Amino acid sequence: MLPFALGLSALGCGIGLGLIGYGAMQGMARQPEAIGKLQTAMLIALAFVELVFLLTVFVGAGAFKP
Amino acid sequence: MEFLVNSTWLMASEEVAEAGAEAAHGLSFAGLMFYIAVTLLVVVGFLAVAKTGLNTRFFKKPATQLLEQLYVFIEGLCVNIIGPHGRKYIPMLLTLWLMIFTGNLVALILHAGPTADLSFNLAMALIAVGYVQYEGMRANGVLGHFSHFAGPRLPLAMALIITPMIFIIEIISETMKNVSLSLRLYGNIHGGHEAVVAMNKLGGGWVPVGDFLFPIKLLTCVVQALIFCLLFAVYLSLVTHHHDEGHDHGNDEGHAAPAH
Repeated sequence: MLPFALGLSALGCGIGLGLIGYGAMQGMARQPEAIGKLQTAMLIALAFVELVFLLTVFVGAGAFKP
Repeated sequence: MEFLVNSTWLMASEEVAEAGAEAAHGLSFAGLMFYIAVTLLVVVGFLAVAKTGLNTRFFKKPATQLLEQLYVFIEGLCVNIIGPHGRKYIPMLLTLWLMIFTGNLVALILHAGPTADLSFNLAMALIAVGYVQYEGMRANGVLGHFSHFAGPRLPLAMALIITPMIFIIEIISETMKNVSLSLRLYGNIHGGHEAVVAMNKLGGGWVPVGDFLFPIKLLTCVVQALIFCLLFAVYLSLVTHHHDEGHDHGNDEGHAAPAH
């Protein structure tokens, strides 16, 4: 059951990262002069979404004790 | 699946049990890698010193030019995120960037490294968050810094209920900054190694499939060093922002800044 749950969490993380990339790409395409600011905000958001997955893997999966 | 279970308790129990012999004389493999990374940094520093050509328009030594680019990049990061007063944090951020990047490179090539070890990352995160607290206290005063945690000023009846809750949540999120900074770096670097090991088995012992992940791991090295510094700068900007900047939330004493 744990591998399936990990796969689900990876799916959610992938959707979140994809949405952030989608939004940032659209913003960059519409306003190329704002790329610097968009990249900074995008990286911060990516880091926070990624953290959820890392917490799932390292804390959640460890607490399961299969 | 075994590494997932092990790595969670890595810092506390299992590492001490497994590496008891190493811990006894205070030497560990990650510590050795740390010294290798520091030695590399010192060598790069000596290589990048420009003794001549200081009066020309640009440095002529390639190594100096490279590090100048890095300096300009970190300076832009500081000034853009923290603001005009962020220029004094450049040494701290540059040191962290260089240390993390070199540690990542050592971890990338030697398959063991300081940043692939949770304790080193946790130490760096503690230093970073502690420095943020120190700077916050220096900018707002000790009481001002702690009242920053308590959220906006509210009417008395609401403040009795809501302010303690906000205070507790802010304290928790402040300690979670340590966890997030360290676990992100550790998870990315250590997870990259685990992915290589797991994917090498796919080649059936003939083709090292996992080693073709090298470019993406190289990208991870740069991005993780960047993200650590970026988040550090964001935390610094949150506690040290001055009142003459437009967006600030909950720090001023109830009066709205005039529009300018």
